[in-house]
Amino acid sequence: MTKNLTDRFFSAALWMILVLLALMLVPFVFSQSVVSLINEMLIMALAGCALNLMLGYGGMVSFGPAGLYAVGAYSTAILLTRYGAPFFIAVLAAPVIAAIIGTIVGWFCVRRSAVYFALLTLAFAQIIWTVIFEWYDFTNGDNGIVSIPIPEVLYSIRNIYYFSLAFVAICIFVLWRIVRSPFGATLQSIRENPMRTEFIAVPVRRYQLAAFVISSFFLGIAGSLFCVFAGSVFPDYAHWVKSTDMLVVCLLGGIHNFAGPIIGSSVYILISKVIAKNTTYWMFFLGIIIVFLVLYMRNGIAGFAAEKLSRWKNRLQGTNG
Amino acid sequence: MFFETKNLTKKFGGLTATSDVNLQIKEGELVSIIGPNGAGKTTLFNLITGHIKPDGGKVFFKDKDITGFPPYVISRMGIGRSFQRLNIFPRLTTFENVQVAVFSAQKKSHQLFTSARKMVRQETENILESVGLLDKKDIQGGLLAHGDQKRLELGIALAVNPLLLLLDEPTQGMSPQETLETTALISKLVKERGLTLIFVEHDMSVVFGISDNIYVMHQGRIVFSGKPEEVKKNEEVQRIYLGEENK
Repeated sequence: MTKNLTDRFFSAALWMILVLLALMLVPFVFSQSVVSLINEMLIMALAGCALNLMLGYGGMVSFGPAGLYAVGAYSTAILLTRYGAPFFIAVLAAPVIAAIIGTIVGWFCVRRSAVYFALLTLAFAQIIWTVIFEWYDFTNGDNGIVSIPIPEVLYSIRNIYYFSLAFVAICIFVLWRIVRSPFGATLQSIRENPMRTEFIAVPVRRYQLAAFVISSFFLGIAGSLFCVFAGSVFPDYAHWVKSTDMLVVCLLGGIHNFAGPIIGSSVYILISKVIAKNTTYWMFFLGIIIVFLVLYMRNGIAGFAAEKLSRWKNRLQGTNG
Repeated sequence: MFFETKNLTKKFGGLTATSDVNLQIKEGELVSIIGPNGAGKTTLFNLITGHIKPDGGKVFFKDKDITGFPPYVISRMGIGRSFQRLNIFPRLTTFENVQVAVFSAQKKSHQLFTSARKMVRQETENILESVGLLDKKDIQGGLLAHGDQKRLELGIALAVNPLLLLLDEPTQGMSPQETLETTALISKLVKERGLTLIFVEHDMSVVFGISDNIYVMHQGRIVFSGKPEEVKKNEEVQRIYLGEENK
């Protein structure tokens, strides 16, 4: 009985509900600037979780998630400004377009593994960046697209926060289901040993491509949400620096925990803002913090916490039973 | 013929790893391929299972030409294998190691939104029990003892429901006692499931007791084949093995 209770106390579902409840209260407690900061964290958390499906679960190190993220952001922006598409269609089309581009990019990338895979993803992201940067007639080039017509309801920070929260919560829940499905298990077996997986009759490349496409889909949503939140899009969204941000978010939080990128996103955005407020050399301090985390918390913050938590849990169960 | 290779040949640069290998195996047979290290046994397995493509020759399974098919297609057709080097999923639990293979066998690997945790539990546990690992199901595969990892690999291979099973030195690195137990376990499982088995081994004593037929490989060629007693008496086989031991 006690064991059952402690188990339930530590169960993931309960944590998710608690976090969600806390997030719903945020606009009532914090100022607008904090709410908008948390909004950024939410979107980055989704992008991180989408990337981590490949990185942590599939063992595919992608250096180009920002490319697909930008495809999502620009899809929404261009559909709204150029074609006057209805708002929800512009938002919902973003992941579909990102998934289509992701299929094409992924088809090439999964043909190689490890460092060559990483290089291909980087190359494709740079191609996407170049297209956005140079194609003035369509994307407005380096001027970006500004004053994107979003519905008036979303002008208030509180409303846009709930809008983002709803999307992010649903998407992260879906991703959570995916990693716990037979597909997720198979993806992990590919990470552990691609050759052995091939010999249990799994077409490895096809599964890697599927992971790539699913990841692109959710990166597309994250991009679209950021477009709606910021009201503007810039070629920088596709830049490799943005990809590195996403990778750092995953590594910082821990790639072998589902919650890793969520924690990573919160911590990364928080420290980058807090430090940036106090010094122009914030990148320097961020670098030091990352070096420390990588050296002393090798499985990221979530991995470190999970280890401590399970020790604590064992002790609790030990004294109870 | 259930399984057959015809003049299977593979060259690596100037080295001929296998040369004109002809195997003929009937359904339900337990066949061993023996030979000293470097005789080309593992290359032969890699050729059969599609891991590498032959330079010449054909592979037939149930009278179908499967030469050059990718590994996942060959596994799906019913040829399973284990590896000489340990080849499991080290950071998945013992249970999950077998479970992913069962998913594949039941064509469930692609399911995206169902929860894997409680699926195919019974099937997975049956296989773990048959290889004697049920009590270790929650341990990470990579943390098991060497002998247990070899048995886990056998479990993964069995979980795909193969008709023909290729085992590459399944007792490699085991103590003599473990070797005896594992060999007995394998021949029991093979009989229970009505499998056809090709067993690769460099130590002939391991396979004499359980094989219906033995192929002796040396420098990429099959130099002799026959019943275990015939192999024991054959002078060339003696010479290959004694020659190796004198080195």
